[in-house]
Amino acid sequence: MKLLRCFPYVSKQVVRHRVRSLLTVVGIAIAMFLFTAVQAMNRGVTEATSAKANDTTLVVYRADRYCPATSRLPQDYQSRIERVEGVTAAIPIKVVVSNCRASLDVVTFRGVPKDDFIDERRGELDVVAGSLDDWKRRTDAALVGETLANRRGLKPGQSFTAAGITAYVAAVLRSDDAQDQNVAYTSLEFVQLAGRDDLGVVTQFNVKVADAALLEPVAKQIDAIFDAAQEPTATFTEQAFIGRVADDIVELVGFARWLGLGCLAAVLALVANSIVLGVQSRVSEHAVLQTLGYPGPLIAALIVAEGVALALTGGLLGAAAAIAVGRYGSFAFSVEGTSIPIVADPALLLTGLLVCGVIGVLAGLVPALQASRREIAECFRAA
Amino acid sequence: MRQLPFAYAFRNLGRSKLRLGAALFGSTLVVLLVLAAGGFVRGMQLTLDRQQSLHDNVMILGVGSEEGVERSQIDASVAGIAAASIRGLKQRAGVVYASPEIHAALPLRLDADDPTDRPAVMRGVRPVALLVHPDVEILQGRFPRAGEDEIMLGSLAPTRLGVPETRLALGKTLRFDDRDWTIVGRFAAPNTVMDAEIWIPLTDLQIATNREATLSTVVVTLDDASFTDVDLFAKSRLDLEIAAIRESAYYASIAAFYGPIRVMIVVTAALIALGGVLGGLNTMYAAFAARVREVGMLQALGYTRAAIVASLTEESVFAAACGALLGAAIGLAFLNGLAVRFSMGAFAVTIDAPVLLLGVLGGLLVGLVGAIPPALRCLRLPITQALKAH
Repeated sequence: MKLLRCFPYVSKQVVRHRVRSLLTVVGIAIAMFLFTAVQAMNRGVTEATSAKANDTTLVVYRADRYCPATSRLPQDYQSRIERVEGVTAAIPIKVVVSNCRASLDVVTFRGVPKDDFIDERRGELDVVAGSLDDWKRRTDAALVGETLANRRGLKPGQSFTAAGITAYVAAVLRSDDAQDQNVAYTSLEFVQLAGRDDLGVVTQFNVKVADAALLEPVAKQIDAIFDAAQEPTATFTEQAFIGRVADDIVELVGFARWLGLGCLAAVLALVANSIVLGVQSRVSEHAVLQTLGYPGPLIAALIVAEGVALALTGGLLGAAAAIAVGRYGSFAFSVEGTSIPIVADPALLLTGLLVCGVIGVLAGLVPALQASRREIAECFRAA
Repeated sequence: MRQLPFAYAFRNLGRSKLRLGAALFGSTLVVLLVLAAGGFVRGMQLTLDRQQSLHDNVMILGVGSEEGVERSQIDASVAGIAAASIRGLKQRAGVVYASPEIHAALPLRLDADDPTDRPAVMRGVRPVALLVHPDVEILQGRFPRAGEDEIMLGSLAPTRLGVPETRLALGKTLRFDDRDWTIVGRFAAPNTVMDAEIWIPLTDLQIATNREATLSTVVVTLDDASFTDVDLFAKSRLDLEIAAIRESAYYASIAAFYGPIRVMIVVTAALIALGGVLGGLNTMYAAFAARVREVGMLQALGYTRAAIVASLTEESVFAAACGALLGAAIGLAFLNGLAVRFSMGAFAVTIDAPVLLLGVLGGLLVGLVGAIPPALRCLRLPITQALKAH
C-alpha cells in the first residue's frame, strides 16, 4: 500500500533524469524489439513443425528428394493411395517455387484439382477478397494466401508473374494453416502445363486419413506399395515433412535464440546501469528518506520499482513495435515450397512485459539492497 | 587554441577501472557484431558474384526457370546443338567450352544406417566443366569416373553436410540413391557457390534422378561470340524452350533473392550497435557529470571549452579504439573464414579490408557519439557554478 502511495515519487525519479531515462528506455526498447522478433520466429517454427493431436494429414513425396522441382511422382498414384485402408482423400499437388532456396519473399504456386480441393478444405478457408467462383471458372486463376497477398500487394483482378508463371488473382484467402497463408493455389493442369512435359506429373500427394492413430501405419503402407516403383515414395506427417525441408531455417532460428538471450542480457545491463547511476547520485536523498522514517525495505522497493518502470516502458515500446512490424510486414520464411511463418501474436506482448518486469526486479535488486542497508550518517558523509 | 596534453586524457582512463572495462567491452562487442554481420553479408555476396568465369559465361536454361536453375529442364541435346550452332564459343584442342549440367538438391546419408537426411547441392558434370569453371581446382584425388559410383566434394561440403572434415576424406563413402558413392576427389572453388557442392558424373546423376533425357543447364564460355549471339540462338530455337542468361546476371538475381535476409542481418546488427551506443552514452553522461568541478577548474586555468571537449572526446575515443582493435583482432582470429551453412549451400564469413574498416569505424563511432553530447552538457555551467559543484 505504502509502495503504491509512493508511485508519484518513482515516476518523478524516472522523469527527473530525462536523458538517462530516455537512453535507457530506448536501449531496452531496441533489445526487446529483437527479443520479441526472435520469439515470433521461434513460435512460427514450433507451430509449423510440432505435431498436434488432431493432425490427420500425410505428405507423400518422392523418396530421396528435397526441392519440389526434383520430386516428380506420377499423378496416377492417386487412385492406388486412395485404395489404402484408412485413407479418406488424396489430393495431388504440383508445387512450383520461384526459388528452392530459403528467403523471406518466395512465391509458391500449388496446383490442385479445384473441386477436390474445395470439397476437402470446406470450412477451413475464409475468402477475404474476390470470389471463389471466379477462381473455379478461370484456368489461370490463383487463390492467394493473405500473407503472400499483403507482402506482394496483390488484389483480386490483378495479374502477377513469378516462377515463370503468370496468374490472375481471383481471390485472397485466410486460413489458420501457415502453409495456406503464403501460397497461391491454382488449377493443377495450369501449373503442370507451365512446366515442361509435366502433365500427369505431381510433386506430392496430401493424404487425409480417418484417424490420427492411422498416420504411421498408412504412411508405411503407402511407401511399401511404391517401394519397387520407378518413383518410390517417402511419406511423412505434415509437420515432420516441414521440419525436414526447413532444416536450415530451424537452425537459423535456433541460432537466433542465442541472440534473444543476448538481448535479455542487454536489457539487464541497461536497467542495472541506469539504476546504479541513479542510486550513486541519490545517496543523500536516500539518507533524507531514512531520516524521515522510511524503512530500508521501502527504499529498496522504490529503487526496484524504478527499474521495473524503466524496463516495462522500454519493453512495451519494443515488443509492440516488433509485433506491429511482424503483423503488417507479413513476413514468412519459405524454403522448398513450405512456409515457416513469423507469428507476431499479441500474446508476445504479455511475454515481453513479464520478462521485462522480472529483469527490472533483478537489475534493481543489488543496488536497492545496498542502498537500503547503508547507515544514515555514512550516506550524509558520502554525499 | 591551447590543447590539453594527450597524457591528461590517457591518465584519466585509469581513474575508474570499472568504467574503462565497460567502455572496452562495449566497443569490442559492437565491433565484433559489425564484423560478424558484415562478414556474413560480404561472404554471401562474394560467393554470388566473384567467380572468375562469371563475366564470360552464359547459362542456357529452360524458359521460366531463370530464377532457379534447380527447376530448369532442357533437352539433353541442347549442349550439342548449342556447341555446333553458336560461333565464337571458347575452344581448346577442339573441345568447345559448353558444359551440360544438372543441378539438384538431394538428401545424402553417411551410410545405410544413418537416419539423417543431409541436404546437399549435387552438380552432374562432364570433365568439360573444369574448363568452363576455371575457379575449380582439384586439390586431392581426381575427377570422378562415370558408372563407378564416384563423387568429388568441394571444400565447404563438410559444413554443408554437417559432418567433420575427416569423415569426407578420399576413399570414404556417402550414401545416395540406395548406393554408396566413393569420394575420389576434393576440390576448392573459393568464394563461389561450387565450393559447397558435390560433383558427380553427369550420366550417373541423370540415372539417379531418372532424367536421362534432360539437363538443368548448359554453361558456355564466350570467346569471339557475344551474349547476344547466345541469346539469339535461344530465341530462335523455340522448339527447345530455352532462355539465355549471363552467369553473372543469374547469380546477381540469387543475391537479390537473399536481399531480405541480408537486410534482416544488417538491421539486427545495427540495432544492437545502437543499443551499445545508448548504453555508452548513459555511462559517459554519469562519468562526465561527476567531473563538472574538474572541468570548471580546467576552464579557470584558461583552457577553452573546445579544448576540453576535445580532451574528453579523446579519452572516450581512445578507450573505444582499444576496444575496436581488440574486437578486430578477435574477429579476424575467430570469425574470418568461418564456414556457415545456409540455404542449399555454404560460404565463408569474409572479413576483408572494407568489412574491417567498417567494424573499426563502428567502434570509434561508439566512442565519439558516446562522448560528445555528455561533454557538451557538462560544459553548460558557468565556471563559478561548476567550481562549486559536488
